[in-house]
Amino acid sequence: MSAMRVDAKVVMLGKESVGKTSLVERYVHHRFLVGPYQNTIGAAFIAKPIQVGEKVITLGIWDTAGSERYEAMSRIYYRGARAAIVCYDMTDTSSFQRARFWVKELQNCEEHCKIYLCGTKSDVIEGDRSLRQIDYHDAQDFADEIGALLFETSSKTGNNVDELFQKVAEDYNTTAFQYMTPEETGVDLGQKKDSYFYSCCHNN
Amino acid sequence: MDGEAQRSTASWENATLAPVDSLRSERAESPMPGLVEGTEPGAGQKSAMFVHAQSFEDLTAEGEDEREAELDKSGECADELKVLVGEKSVEEQHNIDVTSETRTKEEDVCSEAWRSHRKHVFVLSEAGKPIYSRYGTEEALSSTMGVMMALVSVVEADKNVIRSIHADGCKVVFLTKSPLVLVGVSRTSQTDKELLRELLYIYYQIVSLLTLTQLNHIFQHKQNFDLRRLLAGSEYLTDNLLHRLDRDPGLLLSAVTCLPLASSARDVVSSGLQAAKSESLVFSILLAGDRLVTLVRKKDQFLHHIDLHLVFNLVGSSSSFREGEGWTPICLPKFNTAGFFHAHISYLEPASQLCLILVSTDREDFFNMSDCKQRFLERLSKRSAYQALKEALKCPSYSVEQVAIPELRHFLYKSKSSGLYTSPEFPEVYQSDAEQERLMGLYQDLHSSLHHPSRPLRSFYRCGESENLLAWVTSGFELYLCFSPLGTKALALSAVNKLLKWIRKEEDRLFILSPLTY
Ligand SMILES: Nc1nc2c(ncn2[C@@H]2O[C@H](COP(=O)(O)OP(=O)(O)OP(=O)(O)O)[C@@H](O)[C@H]2O)c(=O)[nH]1
Ligand SMILES: [Mg+2]
Repeated sequence: MSAMRVDAKVVMLGKESVGKTSLVERYVHHRFLVGPYQNTIGAAFIAKPIQVGEKVITLGIWDTAGSERYEAMSRIYYRGARAAIVCYDMTDTSSFQRARFWVKELQNCEEHCKIYLCGTKSDVIEGDRSLRQIDYHDAQDFADEIGALLFETSSKTGNNVDELFQKVAEDYNTTAFQYMTPEETGVDLGQKKDSYFYSCCHNN
Repeated sequence: MDGEAQRSTASWENATLAPVDSLRSERAESPMPGLVEGTEPGAGQKSAMFVHAQSFEDLTAEGEDEREAELDKSGECADELKVLVGEKSVEEQHNIDVTSETRTKEEDVCSEAWRSHRKHVFVLSEAGKPIYSRYGTEEALSSTMGVMMALVSVVEADKNVIRSIHADGCKVVFLTKSPLVLVGVSRTSQTDKELLRELLYIYYQIVSLLTLTQLNHIFQHKQNFDLRRLLAGSEYLTDNLLHRLDRDPGLLLSAVTCLPLASSARDVVSSGLQAAKSESLVFSILLAGDRLVTLVRKKDQFLHHIDLHLVFNLVGSSSSFREGEGWTPICLPKFNTAGFFHAHISYLEPASQLCLILVSTDREDFFNMSDCKQRFLERLSKRSAYQALKEALKCPSYSVEQVAIPELRHFLYKSKSSGLYTSPEFPEVYQSDAEQERLMGLYQDLHSSLHHPSRPLRSFYRCGESENLLAWVTSGFELYLCFSPLGTKALALSAVNKLLKWIRKEEDRLFILSPLTY
């Protein structure tokens, strides 16, 4: 067993069924699972090393459940996160509202967390343009307003997915040593536990 | 079902097989009638793993075996509540009308098909708001639910009095568990008590997602709160639990079954879990599909089999734990309805059936749990026991032929003191789902007779057209046997001893005889 260092905590947020799990699945396992949709229960954690220039950075990705039931729990998943991928389904207006909620929440509680807005299921829109409910420019305006980057992705085709996570890792790499958040240096016991040594599953 | 015909040919013996309670038999000796609790085949050697409870009586003894909440999480809970019931902005209210759009069970609630389902289950709030319906969407059923609510308020004189209505081959059973009301409508031959037991399971399923404290809090603040908002995406857990209730002997027997495994290998696995402990860890559970491999618990903390079945249901219903490591709040209602535990759920290997559940009291402790799992896996993978375990997965059951009792087709044997049961795989004649459910229905009938509230039976022999059945209960075990229709009663009676001897011989493999604690 090798103890693997998790460099950056990344949290996936967004309304249920917008495609958070599918994004992670596509990025980590390069696949898209068809079949009945399975809600995430609570949250799932996965560590993924990624090459940035000369360096390897390990993202510790928290794929949270969108169900409102877990909302009260969400803080433990995004606390101390260096990046949040806030997802909405481009064919579902209400999911964009929910994305705004998460952005507000992050701005209030996690000021050092960089936000990436992610419009999902672009393949569906390509199939039938009339299905698009969230205008690209509206989303871009919102992204500008909050200082976020916008990606439109498809986990089905893989479109823009690697680019999204690559950007997350690169941004982390360039800003990593600019500042330490108070929570990282603090003595909050709870915080200590989810920092930064994570034992990886690849034994032997 | 041909239940009526079978019933009329049924005959029961009351005293002939009754054990002589004074006759204690030592563990090592052959198991004879007269077994007392703790010495029956399958009884654990040290201490029980589960809360000791004949949970069939749970309904009446509600709360009796509730453990005192050792772990006071009420403070934390209150915090979470604030967030949950806090005023929602208009914006958010907006995106909340989504609850049932993902339901796939759109079904015309006026259709004959809908009406003819064997068993309907409805959950509503005390204000009459729909929360769950097994078939059809809750919206379409809101007027039906309204009628039910009216019935509930009429039939119940005071709180927690449970009544039922019988009409036209149909039974309607009400269970009021404030702030929820559960209604079962059944065309099966199940007794009210059986139906209530099932409703109680559904109630616990909902509590396990939200905690009772939170439920109460919500409805105290907003009587007509739409609970589906919070349960969105969990309907399939309830659907699956209902399915299990029809099929899983464990839920009927209030017991759990184990993966057959050489005790030497099981002990290595158990001690591996015992070694991978952590301050906040309360239960370590290793599952192989629907079977328990082992369970290690904190000293003095017991898991109730209902809670364990809820965990089984959670893990078994969802493929979502296949991805990475799951970390989810879960309330174990028989342990403590007030607070959440936090479960680390992961498979030992990507495509493995072996799922490890580490139940912690601390929601911040994910990485510690992850580390425990790693330590366990590292230790286990070095030992030959891991190979033995993987081998055992290939034959997770056994055929009834191994027992070598003529005409015996199937059986259920529960050791009362360990809360574990064993049962062979279904033979050829019960291969179809329908046949398996029919057999389960017969076992349920026997179970009802043995546990009849006013005249419980110790044994019961029943001849049917398709099979003959014998049920027998002592203070140590419960046994249900299914014979081909060629079997005779004498044969059945003589089979009991033979079977008990066989189980005694195999108990090392079929049961967990030395449960561990940390
Ligand atoms: N066509 C298409 N379907 C997608 C895409 N991403 C996700 N889906 C589908 O959308 C549904 C929900 O996807 P998930 O990834 O499970 O959604 P989630 O956000 O993780 O949902 P929760 O875990 O409940 O919060 C599934 O049926 C997916 O197959 C996509 O890029 N294209
Ligand atoms: Mg998900």
